[in-house]
Amino acid sequence: MTRSKDLDTIAPDDDIIIPSPPPETPPTQPKKKKVTKTKIKTQEPSIVDDFNKKIHEILGHTKSPFSSFLVHPKVLKFTEQDDHEIIYLAVRPHWVTNISWFLISIAMLFVPLLFGYLTFFNVFPVQYRFALILFWYLINFIYAFEKFLNWYFDLFLVTNERVVDIDFNNLLNKHFAEADISVIQDVSFSIKGILGTFFNFGTVLIQTASEKNQIIFDNVSNPQKIMRLLKELRDSNEHQGGQL
Amino acid sequence: MNNFLTNNNLEFYFFGITKVFFVLFALLYFVFALIVVKQVTSMSKSVSDKFNYILIIFSFLHLAFSVLLILIMLGL
Repeated sequence: MTRSKDLDTIAPDDDIIIPSPPPETPPTQPKKKKVTKTKIKTQEPSIVDDFNKKIHEILGHTKSPFSSFLVHPKVLKFTEQDDHEIIYLAVRPHWVTNISWFLISIAMLFVPLLFGYLTFFNVFPVQYRFALILFWYLINFIYAFEKFLNWYFDLFLVTNERVVDIDFNNLLNKHFAEADISVIQDVSFSIKGILGTFFNFGTVLIQTASEKNQIIFDNVSNPQKIMRLLKELRDSNEHQGGQL
Repeated sequence: MNNFLTNNNLEFYFFGITKVFFVLFALLYFVFALIVVKQVTSMSKSVSDKFNYILIIFSFLHLAFSVLLILIMLGL
């Protein structure tokens, strides 16, 4: 009578079969699967990726770093920015708004040519005239430089957490205003005048539920796109509970 | 009194006073140029971007020219 094999004791009449050990093979390390980022993205599309796609659909891409409409600027940072905060959009006033000061500073370059016609100017010796002309060009330079800085540092930022308005006036005053995406109640825009219509820039008005209940961005490019982006951000914020 | 109002004296006093004013203006302008450098540096820290260093260079160039202006005014 054969014993059932599942018994863990051995009877004296049992045929003892010593199982031969398996041939020794060098231990093989489990092969590491190469996982690329793209695979992860395709396999597990996250909410953030979907949202980024949506943003690019709305805003498009920035062609020039000097553009007044920067989508996903990688280098741009501001001091009040949190570590995990991502800037979706950075907007400056439209470049057309720079034309007036640019033309004025070009015209100012030629003003010293008229100095020769002033009898008062001719009273001074040559060194004085040279000093006055240098002084004039310095004033010309600082006028244009100050206007440029006012434009360059007049930023409207849309991040994954808030909208930020940074403004420097006359080199001496800094203005900083922000509003969380969650407190945005209403966004509207207006495009006025021939230039605004032709070059597609205008004013974006954001109504918020915070203490400072209005944030206004003047002369910004593509106000429709900004409005769509803010609406999208607000909706996503509501659906995701503030996690983008 | 007549000697004081001679052409040479008038010229001397006129250009002397003018020079003092010019130097004062140049000094004030130098202070302004210093403020510009400080402000541009502060702005660049506040909002850092790829091309901020160019703006800082321009502000320092402006400062250098304001120093040159003082030197020219003093040398008049």
